[in-house]
Amino acid sequence: MDEQFSVRQIAKSYAGVQALQDVTIDFASGLTAIVGDNGAGKSTLMKILSGVEHPDRGTIVHNGQSVTIDNPVIARKLGIESLYQDLALADTLNVIENMFLGREIVTRRFGIPVLDERAMAQAAGDTLARVRIGLPHPKTPVRYLSGGQRQAVALARALYFKAQVLLLDEPTAALGPKETSAFTSVIKELVDSGTRVVMVTHNIPQVIEMADSIVVMRAGRIVARVAPQDTSEQQLLAFMVGSQETIEEASPQWIKTHQ
Amino acid sequence: MDQNTSVRHSGRKFQWALRGRVTILFVLVLFVVFFGVTARGFFTKISLENIMVSTALFLLLSLGETYVMISGGIDLSVSSMLALSGMVSGVYISSTYHGTGPAIGITLIALALSLVLGLAGGTFNGLIIANLKLNPLIVTLGTWGVFYGGAELIANGSPVGNLTPFSYVLGNGGPLVGWVVWITLAFVIAYAWIARRTRFGRYIFAVGANREAVRRAGVNLKRQSVGVYALAGLGAGAAGFLSMAHFQTASPVAGSDYLLIAVAAVIIGGTPLTGGEGSIWGTVVGALIISVLENGFVMLNISAFWQLVAVGLTTILAVYFDEIQRHFQIAQAARRNTA
Repeated sequence: MDEQFSVRQIAKSYAGVQALQDVTIDFASGLTAIVGDNGAGKSTLMKILSGVEHPDRGTIVHNGQSVTIDNPVIARKLGIESLYQDLALADTLNVIENMFLGREIVTRRFGIPVLDERAMAQAAGDTLARVRIGLPHPKTPVRYLSGGQRQAVALARALYFKAQVLLLDEPTAALGPKETSAFTSVIKELVDSGTRVVMVTHNIPQVIEMADSIVVMRAGRIVARVAPQDTSEQQLLAFMVGSQETIEEASPQWIKTHQ
Repeated sequence: MDQNTSVRHSGRKFQWALRGRVTILFVLVLFVVFFGVTARGFFTKISLENIMVSTALFLLLSLGETYVMISGGIDLSVSSMLALSGMVSGVYISSTYHGTGPAIGITLIALALSLVLGLAGGTFNGLIIANLKLNPLIVTLGTWGVFYGGAELIANGSPVGNLTPFSYVLGNGGPLVGWVVWITLAFVIAYAWIARRTRFGRYIFAVGANREAVRRAGVNLKRQSVGVYALAGLGAGAAGFLSMAHFQTASPVAGSDYLLIAVAAVIIGGTPLTGGEGSIWGTVVGALIISVLENGFVMLNISAFWQLVAVGLTTILAVYFDEIQRHFQIAQAARRNTA
């Protein structure tokens, strides 16, 4: 199995509550979806991968090497980009300013680093065209943007900085159907170009449609690893809530085909 | 993007950029016309110079205050830093210059003292706010007391005169509008440039809009915070020296009227208390509105108390119109997005 990006025996607890226990996942190339009920530990795992939280135990392996992701800056330096659930954009800054926040292009004037607005506008223009979700003028402050448009800005950021690993936390929760389909196709393109995508979501049909492999979590543990072609919505739901009866009741067909 | 949309976009961009500023510029023009018609002598050289100098002295406080407020904080200590730095440089001059000696050198050292003191005081504010994670309102209210108390201690109860002739020249002479206005203008240009053209300036806005986003973007928030308050202190230090030089007195209670109008200029100039937006140019227009109002009232022989009332009401009105405008713009954008 490909070991370029993986977590080994990760554990994390908050005030005595075990949020993650012994979590080991090899993120194969393509899109790995992590599903689970609320409190299953999905978001905690994503926070650890993006450097927002630190694991109590365990290691993260990136490009074959054990790494410590102390903060989001280190994650970015390793090529791990995140699209946060709460969309970390600065509302009064415009689309371009948000795309380059913290990584502005500068030129030197009399030895002083000065923002190179033209270079940033140019670089942003090409990337924004690839995102396909219709955006207003890139100098529009992002507070005037819809949920999908804001998502597109965050995605453009990951695209431009050539993420090796892209972390998506409930990426389509705030999107309409049209925006979701545009978003999905951009993600597929990214996966085709070799980006490893890790996606946390509640949207089971979307998981079956998009994922290359599916990891199911429950109460801080991994309870199943399946390929989308070998599973069904009902089975995934059963894994998530941990009830065997649910499988039989909800899907006699599945039982038949898998017995 | 085809050509049609790009043309439409550039028009919209123009609207975004100008809508807010045009409103307060219009208010300024309105006040100037009103006093020009009603107050005799409003358009004379001496009256206009008066407006410029009185604007300059508190505008130096407003510039750094604009940074602080855009980044979502507030600095109440700037007026007392004006008193402290003016006092320190005044005492230095009067104790080293006794009618003879290197007046220019002594004056320039005093100027440097004011600037360094302002920078140090502001840095102190920033360090406390950033490291102890305390509310800036409380911290700067505390240092407001510290700085005024320090000024009183140094003054030992009485103001200081006997300054150098060169300090008089700096405070009251100079080509055309005078050194005070030129020096202030240099500060305005520098502060506007930093806000618009540097990373530090960009993060002032970003921190005010979404602190967490800036943290995740890997920006050093402590350094950012210290920088913002240090620059507020620097402006106050310069104001302290120039006000001492202009009035030829160093007083421990100098600038006590300036806090309200320095903050008011920032608010009238379009920086909301919630931060994230605003501009140095807006603050300049806000400061001019206040000065025109004050000087116009003086020329109309209206009591000084009414000046305060007028400045207060203008500030409230400015915030109200700003709020209406913002709601209108957001509603419009929402309509466009659903269309």
